[in-house]
Amino acid sequence: MIIIGERISVIAKKVREAMAARDPKPLQDLARTQFEKGANYIDVSIGPAEDDGPQLMDWAVKVIQEVVPAPLCLDTTNRAAMVAGLKAHNNQWGRALINSASGEEERLNNMMPLAGEFNAEIIALTLTEKGIPALAEERCEVAANIMGKAMECGVPMEDIWLDPLILPVPFQQDKCKESIRAIRLFRELNDPPMKTTVGLSNIANGAPKELRGIITRTFLVLLMYEGLYSAIADPNDKEFMDTMKTVDVLMEKRLYAHSYLEM
Amino acid sequence: MALSGVEIFKHLPKTNCKKCGYPTCLAFAMKLAALQESTDKCPDLSEEAKKFLGAAAEPPIKGITLGPKGVKVGEETVLFRHEKKFVNPCPIALNIKDTEGADAITKHIADVNSSEIDRVGQMLRVDLICVTDESGDAARFAAVVKQVADGAPNAGLILNSSRPASIEAAIGHCADKKPLVYGANAENLDAMVKIAKEKKVALGIFAKGLDALSDLSEKVKGMGVTDIVLDSGARTAKEMVEEYTMIRRAALKKSFKPLGFPVISFVGRDDSTFEAVVASIGIMKYASIIVVNSIEKWKTLALLTLRQNIYTDPQVPMQVEQKIYKIGDANENSPLLVTTNFSLTYFIVRGEIENSKVPCWLAIMNVEGLSVLTAWAAGKFVAGSIANFIKDSEAPKLVAKKELILPGYVSVLSGSLEDKLGDGWKVVVGPREANQLPAFLKGRA
Amino acid sequence: MPFVMPKDTYAGKVNTLTFGSEDKAVTIGGENGLPFLSFESIIPNRPLIALEIQDVAPSDWPDTVRTVYDGVSDSPAKWARFCQDSLGAKIVALRLTGTHPDRENRSAEDAVKTVTEVLSAIDVPLMILGSGHTEKDAQVLKAAAEAAKGRECILGKAQEENYKTIVTAAIANNHKLIAMSQLDVNLAKQLNILITQMGFNKDNIIMDPMSSALGYGIEYTYSVMERIRQAALVQNDPMMQTPLLCDIGPNVWKTKESAAPESELPEWGSLEERGIVWESVTASTMIMAGCNLLVMRHPKAIEAVNKLVSELI
Repeated sequence: MIIIGERISVIAKKVREAMAARDPKPLQDLARTQFEKGANYIDVSIGPAEDDGPQLMDWAVKVIQEVVPAPLCLDTTNRAAMVAGLKAHNNQWGRALINSASGEEERLNNMMPLAGEFNAEIIALTLTEKGIPALAEERCEVAANIMGKAMECGVPMEDIWLDPLILPVPFQQDKCKESIRAIRLFRELNDPPMKTTVGLSNIANGAPKELRGIITRTFLVLLMYEGLYSAIADPNDKEFMDTMKTVDVLMEKRLYAHSYLEM
Repeated sequence: MALSGVEIFKHLPKTNCKKCGYPTCLAFAMKLAALQESTDKCPDLSEEAKKFLGAAAEPPIKGITLGPKGVKVGEETVLFRHEKKFVNPCPIALNIKDTEGADAITKHIADVNSSEIDRVGQMLRVDLICVTDESGDAARFAAVVKQVADGAPNAGLILNSSRPASIEAAIGHCADKKPLVYGANAENLDAMVKIAKEKKVALGIFAKGLDALSDLSEKVKGMGVTDIVLDSGARTAKEMVEEYTMIRRAALKKSFKPLGFPVISFVGRDDSTFEAVVASIGIMKYASIIVVNSIEKWKTLALLTLRQNIYTDPQVPMQVEQKIYKIGDANENSPLLVTTNFSLTYFIVRGEIENSKVPCWLAIMNVEGLSVLTAWAAGKFVAGSIANFIKDSEAPKLVAKKELILPGYVSVLSGSLEDKLGDGWKVVVGPREANQLPAFLKGRA
Repeated sequence: MPFVMPKDTYAGKVNTLTFGSEDKAVTIGGENGLPFLSFESIIPNRPLIALEIQDVAPSDWPDTVRTVYDGVSDSPAKWARFCQDSLGAKIVALRLTGTHPDRENRSAEDAVKTVTEVLSAIDVPLMILGSGHTEKDAQVLKAAAEAAKGRECILGKAQEENYKTIVTAAIANNHKLIAMSQLDVNLAKQLNILITQMGFNKDNIIMDPMSSALGYGIEYTYSVMERIRQAALVQNDPMMQTPLLCDIGPNVWKTKESAAPESELPEWGSLEERGIVWESVTASTMIMAGCNLLVMRHPKAIEAVNKLVSELI
């Protein structure tokens, strides 16, 4: 399964400070360790960045790709910053991934055309102005709307990664199964099956620290069983990565060898 | 892609009336999806639903039966043999030009008739003869077809001509023997289709390239002929691999009906060895019928063996007959070895015994085609059953000294086997690896 | 209904591997799709064929192929030069058959002598193969690797029982390595992992899935190879992306089909053509399953296979 490394996020104090000071080292260290632990994409989340979004994104993309030969997941709602990131992105190791469009009209109109213009792939959240739909089928309706807009913008269906949105099990236990079901229904929306992604750590938000690991990786197994294509997660979490590799082997997506966990 | 149970269920009455014999419509739908039931069982199915489900239940690649012996082609379901067994081994066809002399044709017919060989207990042969209209003379073509049909009554016929008049003249000599009429193209379509419909025979169609071929196929089907064999015009090895792959992918993965038919491959080359090599590509990569210009015995041996190998069921091991095999000039003083009837085991052990130049008796025991260790672990190759096999066989009569050589991997059985054999039998533990047999046997001699 | 070309896309590609020295170096691998589907992939390097010679005269080879080398096969250096100069070999494969304990049981020192002689006789790249006796091969290949330092040879074969010594020798002397496991896709992956964990560059590994002759288990090898390529190209498994080697000479030329005279089995037809077609079709089957490097014996079979490859690319 594809892993998008989530550690470079403005929410983390170390990252926030490094970004403010334009200190590349903390970002580069985080990028490097995530890449070594198996991240296929590195997520760069700069937040709203109202003042200097474009310059910040441009800088962050360049310093990260200086040290890791990997495509980046550009995480911001700021359109100008997104454009700057896409321009700065080195496509040598893969195309950029826009994080994200959604079913909200403004956000969809802002972001989807950029995927077409810059030949980038794009994550699309299946929520609307009314929030996150309750049922998996309702999420499919939002997805269908997003796919329609994609066709208008010349974005191929294979370039869209649908995200059903994950709600935390401590507070919304009754909604967790719907996200799992949504992964299966999303895939059936097209042939070849639509790609999917989730922000995995959200499932354990609000749970005591010692429970987060077991909740997250078990949820991962259920999602992967339904065919989850990728996850935004922390590849430094060894138990999480071991679980992901084991599911891949059990579902015949990865060849077994006695040392498969070491790969 | 076949329909899933859920997709079929959408077209059923959903009344759970149980008239089909199943408790619910969904249960019946699952059976239909597994191709284990027929839509006939549901009396309340609408005509539209019946038509839709019928079309969806068709195999993605049509099956067609040819020749008096009923050789089947098509019905394939996978791209890779390791996913699932390839279904119908592609028949080999000898090409005979109608411009050849009568003597030459007589010899060709005799070669086809005597082409049968035994390979691991399976009888394999050249199944088809393709008569090619090179002369442009309908009477001549018909005469050769008659000569072939009469002379090779067991072989299926391919009538290869793009002139409807020639086909008309010839078909009378073989129409009841399920021939393949090949040579329909965009120009002669109406006439050829008419013959195929009248005589109820399969039609081989030719168009260069898959766009044109798809159009032609659709047209033919629309005119009422459904037993179609495709020729995309692929002649080089590259075209064969690429086009036959595209055809099979389109049929299996895209449910593209116009290309869901068997494929005929004309492989003719001047050099016979090279022709065999190119034909081998067709065998591996999806040809349903392979037409060659010559069938020397060494060549058919190779091609039929390869075909047998590629079409073997990956789940079911190939087995050889249980018996005491004589290797070399074995006599009552020769060593007696025992092993299992997995054909790979048999061939390898036999080969090593032959390499040793020591004549031996090789007792092959039926363990349903498992290798030595697997059979032992499954309880099929154990002291009791081996002892019974040896004592009930002709082995005791063949050897003067009651000594049995056991594969080294099951040396743990030797004591118990000796007990169970009784009667003065001695068990000798042989080498673990077959390639140690020559040294072992020469050392004992 | 219009026809749409059903193109597949692949996540991975086969490694590119170059061996031999200077202007006679050759390259294999690099393709980014399943065999010979150039409408959806690129095939930068065609499969190559190495001609097999031995350190001892091939008295056990069937007539059909032994007689081709009459007059040269009594001397490995002469034999090697004949392959390079008269037969146009781009690669020579020296099998140290004589070092097998059940054969002449030649020593590692003897092997060194042979390797040195052969290397002086040719410019084209050399593949050095042990006799197949895993214990003896470890010592023999270690010595041979040292003797061949500087020529960037292919050394083989490393197996589960003996890979440590051979890998160390390959690293120390800068050679490429053949890793062989017994017709098992998972064991093949595990062996590559173990070799790589010793510090050997995975890009210098060639996998031998273990060949079988036509009629003697060839379908097992064929399917193992197709599954290896699925793992390499579709699953993008970095441990399975090595080029593939098929060493078919010994298996083909010990079959009854390659040696039994027509008088004994008239239904099998002429012996000479039979042996040649047996090697040719065994080879073509391996080529179709993704083989990048073949080791073969009969020049006519090699010619047929080269002609096929030219027609496939």
